[in-house]
Amino acid sequence: MAEFVARGLDELGHNVVRASNGVDALHLATTEPLDLALLDRMLPQMDGLTVLRRLRAAKIETPVLLLTALGRIDDRVEGLEAGADDYLVKPFAFSELAARINALARRGPINSPPTKLECGPLSMDLLRREVRRNGELIILQPREFRLLEELMHNAERAVTRTMLLERVWGFHFDPQTNIVETHISRTRAKLNEGGKPDLIETLRGVGYRMRPCDEA
Amino acid sequence: MTRRRKSAAYRIAFAYSAAIAIGIALLGTIIFWAMHIAFTRQLDAMIEDEVQTLIIEYRSGGEAELRDAIAQRERLTQQGATLYYAEFEPNGRRVFGSLNTAMPALGMHDIAFVDPTEGADQARGLAVELPDHRRLLVAADREWVEQIDRTVLVTFTAGFLAVIGLGIVGALLLGGYLRKRLRAIGSAAEAIIGGDIRRRMPASGRGDEFDQLAGVLNAMLEEIERLLENLRQVSSDVAHDLRSPLSHLRNALEESTAGSAESREQVIADAIRRVDEILSLFAAILRISEIESGEIRRLFKPVELSALITDLAESYAPAVREGGRSLTWSIEPGLTMTGDRELIAQAVTNLLENALRHTPVGTEIHIDLASSAKNVRIAVADTGPGVADSDWSLITRRFIRLESSRSRAGHGLGLNLVAAIARLHQGQLSFADNAPGLVAQFDLPRS
Repeated sequence: MAEFVARGLDELGHNVVRASNGVDALHLATTEPLDLALLDRMLPQMDGLTVLRRLRAAKIETPVLLLTALGRIDDRVEGLEAGADDYLVKPFAFSELAARINALARRGPINSPPTKLECGPLSMDLLRREVRRNGELIILQPREFRLLEELMHNAERAVTRTMLLERVWGFHFDPQTNIVETHISRTRAKLNEGGKPDLIETLRGVGYRMRPCDEA
Repeated sequence: MTRRRKSAAYRIAFAYSAAIAIGIALLGTIIFWAMHIAFTRQLDAMIEDEVQTLIIEYRSGGEAELRDAIAQRERLTQQGATLYYAEFEPNGRRVFGSLNTAMPALGMHDIAFVDPTEGADQARGLAVELPDHRRLLVAADREWVEQIDRTVLVTFTAGFLAVIGLGIVGALLLGGYLRKRLRAIGSAAEAIIGGDIRRRMPASGRGDEFDQLAGVLNAMLEEIERLLENLRQVSSDVAHDLRSPLSHLRNALEESTAGSAESREQVIADAIRRVDEILSLFAAILRISEIESGEIRRLFKPVELSALITDLAESYAPAVREGGRSLTWSIEPGLTMTGDRELIAQAVTNLLENALRHTPVGTEIHIDLASSAKNVRIAVADTGPGVADSDWSLITRRFIRLESSRSRAGHGLGLNLVAAIARLHQGQLSFADNAPGLVAQFDLPRS
């Protein structure tokens, strides 16, 4: 499992160091300057949650993505309360993991969340809840606005369907109906009105991504 | 014997009879001392009275009268009275009276004397001073008190021994009986462990504590058997539900080994989709068992129900419209409750998706949120073909898929999950006829 993930991340150009038990993981995370830690909840010698709590107690704020085979609701709450930045239930698609790692690694320390987001012709004012394309105001529903905001935050990085469900709707379960798809298509339709080029790219089997901002 | 020493039944029975024996011994000791003290006092009072009488004699008639009285009394003593007399000179010599003892100190004491017939003996005596520093001693033989003491002692010793004897016999009988009753329950339990799960605890029919215990254990065994049956049912259902997608998957993969590279890619994409379906089946099973354990209750928080249902309706409306159906809603504003926001969302989502999946194009779906004094009701109504009312209790069961919907996608856990979520919130899921169509009513208690 760890080897498969490590190999996959290595192929994506990440520099991966591995620890095979909880004690080594804690040692690694406290001594190496990591951009991101992938932590399994169930580790030999010291479980992932304990490692995470000790890290946070030691004021080490490395973003942590917690992996678990337990999909229980209270496990997730426990994980996030212990200081995890994101949470992924095994088994997961590798593309899902890669998307979440990208989103976390670039997030960095949140000192002051941005109030304006820009990407190519598109600009969002998060305080006034306004979206403009080439300065022209576009009226979006609140959900569509949140959806676009999430994509813009992660501009040029893939955002998966489950990430959108979690962050826009707050759902950690998977509805059978394509509510994400229908909202994306309505948002798209409003953004592209009048036959303008599409700004949101669909990544088959993965999710969505804003087209490179300097392209359009 | 070691087995008996380990046996709680024997231990309790023996402890009980030992307690009774100790009680008898204590009672005997108390009675012995109480009687001993009382009779000694009586003896003392008798002696004091006699001394008083003699002193009155002395005062009225002096030395001669006193000796006369003593001599007279001693004659009577020969006929069975119990008092003895002695008069001493200041130098300690006995000058009168037949009580053969040395001169005692003044006051009441136990004294030793020599009985002319029985030899050395014990007595209780009171010595008083006469004029000229002579002393008068009146004593009574203790024989009488000692006899009573002996009688009490013998009676209670016999009683004590009898209680111990009876106690041992009783403890053996009682212990044996308790062990027999317990062994009957134990051997039934062993038979159940050995695989005979239909075996039940024996009852004597007397309705005593053992029968009550057997009754409770039997009720527990019934429940366990029911759960086992349920578990067997569920696992065979899971196995059944897994077999067809897995064999499809296997066949598709097998065929793809002969196909072209492009078709193989298609097969792989297909395989991933099928595996995802199987995983979602497992996720649903795990989710239901987690909800049924009730542990999530500790995570309950206030939920703005009106806002949540509005949000869900608005989120679903476009998808429903794309599917050729319509979605309308009427939502009472400002309703809140205590619960798990996501689970309620999932329950409503499942009801909505059921209404979507099992109805033809053109169906109107309506979500209604309204409150009564005790409940809030989320009703999802459709104008589809409906469900026969005889099937209403069936459709919330695990893995139940009505014949009419066998061919459609789904794992038959959706409504079971909704019912589990309702129970978790102390609510319930019920159905009604929408004429035409079905109304699913999800009731939750108001907070």
